Amino acid sequence: MTAPYLHIRGIRKDYGSVTAVENVDLEIRRGEFMTFLGPSGSGKSTTLYILAGFQDPTAGDILLEGKSLLQTPSHLRQIGMVFQRYTLFPHLTVAENIGFPLKVRRKGRAEIDAKVRDMLRLVRLEGFEDRKPADMSGGQQQRVALARALAYDPPVLLMDEPLSALDKKLREEIQVEIRRIHQETEVTILYVTHDQEEALRLSDRIAVFSKGVIDQVGTGPELYANPATRFVAEFIGDSDFLTCSVLSSDGRTADVRLGSDFVVPGVPVHGGGGGRSAGALLLRPERISLHRHQPAEAGTLPVTVGGLTFLGSNVHVAATTGWGEPVAVRLPFGHGAIEGLSRGDTVWLGFDPRATHVFC
Amino acid sequence: MTQASNTAMLAPPPRRRGWLPAGLGPATPALVLLTLFFVVPVVSLLLRSVLEPSPGLGNYAELLGSSTYLRVFLNTFLVSGLVTTVSLLIGFPVAWTLAIMPGRWARIVFAILLLSMWTNLLARTYAWMVLLQRTGIVNKTLINLGLIDQPLTLVNNLVGVTIGMVYIMLPFVILPLYGVIRRIDPSILQAAALCGATKGQALRRILLPLAAPGMAAGGLMVFVMSLGYFVTPALLGGTNNMMLAELIAQFVQSLVNWGMGSAAAFVLLVATLALYAVQLRLFGTSQMGGR
Repeated sequence: MTAPYLHIRGIRKDYGSVTAVENVDLEIRRGEFMTFLGPSGSGKSTTLYILAGFQDPTAGDILLEGKSLLQTPSHLRQIGMVFQRYTLFPHLTVAENIGFPLKVRRKGRAEIDAKVRDMLRLVRLEGFEDRKPADMSGGQQQRVALARALAYDPPVLLMDEPLSALDKKLREEIQVEIRRIHQETEVTILYVTHDQEEALRLSDRIAVFSKGVIDQVGTGPELYANPATRFVAEFIGDSDFLTCSVLSSDGRTADVRLGSDFVVPGVPVHGGGGGRSAGALLLRPERISLHRHQPAEAGTLPVTVGGLTFLGSNVHVAATTGWGEPVAVRLPFGHGAIEGLSRGDTVWLGFDPRATHVFC
Repeated sequence: MTQASNTAMLAPPPRRRGWLPAGLGPATPALVLLTLFFVVPVVSLLLRSVLEPSPGLGNYAELLGSSTYLRVFLNTFLVSGLVTTVSLLIGFPVAWTLAIMPGRWARIVFAILLLSMWTNLLARTYAWMVLLQRTGIVNKTLINLGLIDQPLTLVNNLVGVTIGMVYIMLPFVILPLYGVIRRIDPSILQAAALCGATKGQALRRILLPLAAPGMAAGGLMVFVMSLGYFVTPALLGGTNNMMLAELIAQFVQSLVNWGMGSAAAFVLLVATLALYAVQLRLFGTSQMGGR
């Protein structure tokens, strides 16, 4: 394994007595699409702003190809950035906006014109050269901002929730564009979002931020199948949590008890020690099978149906366990098991203990 | 403006009441006041300038033909231009600092600014006379610091007028500039920095062009106010650099020549309106008074 391209090393940022981020440690490969995912206030934007040089970390370092960036002021860092708000220069045309980074680098007229043309082609806005930002839609403005950020071929591109001001359909359209542009330019992208779907759609890897620390780093499927913390499990995909007590644990798997007598053996366990303690059992609503009659084999959990919600391709079944905890099941529309199902019916839920997790 | 159109929209279906255009009804008192105390005097001024002492354009010919009077015009524009330039040079950094300052501190600075505006003009001008005179605190400090040997002549000349007027005009530059700068999203400047712009380039290529409407609004206001200023030039200026307002006062008070006075006043009015027209042409109405 060679040295990482971009190394965020032990970053910490304090504002007075408040710690915004702590121990942020990340190694990013050249050309990687890395997303910082987390709710607002989780420290993901702070980390990005430290990378941009708008804020200095209290401790830690940032290394690009082994060299520290911290002493380099923003305008010399050669990092591109697309902001959450529209930050095109309102008094300049689209072409002047995209050419701005080259102009301040005192490039020749011909070079600037050629680059602006390339960039407009890249973001598919040919013919918009002479428009002013105010005459364009939000989506178009963000595409120009992307073109401007890429115009001087920065090795690293930062994106701070660039699509959060756009509506869903436009957002998805531009996500596809960003993906394509990433593949075409092979630029290393650090992308901040609070939208798990956006993160999963775009990223090679995702760093999940929670309360100023990174809970877990991994590909989307890794985070989904093997969440390291309850927070990650809640943030990526849908989840049911049932309170349980841990009967025994060898540190890797545990036997847990739901309610008074429903025992689930061999559940992967995260955090906590052995012995009897309380925990939360994670079930994925779409990985639960639903039976109308009690199956012959043991290990199914009887629940009472509370209601059905039609969600297009899926149907969401809300149910309650015998001891009163809610649990959701998701089944494809038209599935035999939900035909004629109604409120108050008793059904049996089946799941593979190895595909569940217990957090304690 | 929006308010006027809102009222028009809220008003009951247009029932035309005689000669007033729809929606102007509520403006009647103001219109009457303006007519009585502004339109009528201005018209009578214009009439006096062409009728006294004898009908014709004689007053204007004398005013614009004489080198003495021309020097007064020239001096008026020179002082106004100087005051405007210095006010903008000092006002821009102040407005910028106010815009990025924490709100609590900005409020304190604003209070100081407004307090100075509300203090009597004469008191402020006399204060400058005391401060700037040969044995005043400014000269004494400079001599005690060893920066000069002889006291500088700071009053009864261009320097005195400029200092005194810039001091009075500063709020009129700072307030509109502050409004414009406050509306500039700070992340636009962050974007400029990440694009590779040095602080100087960001200032020149981004901040100044974006603040230009505020500079123009504030600058024009100061220039126009300076053109007709009387008290400060009269007290802090010398006889060599008389301004137009002083000339008008002299025509009317000392020479009792209403014809010449009116003509001079009218020239001043036309110059002011012409400048206003230029401003409208360049920046439109929206930026004139801020929002």
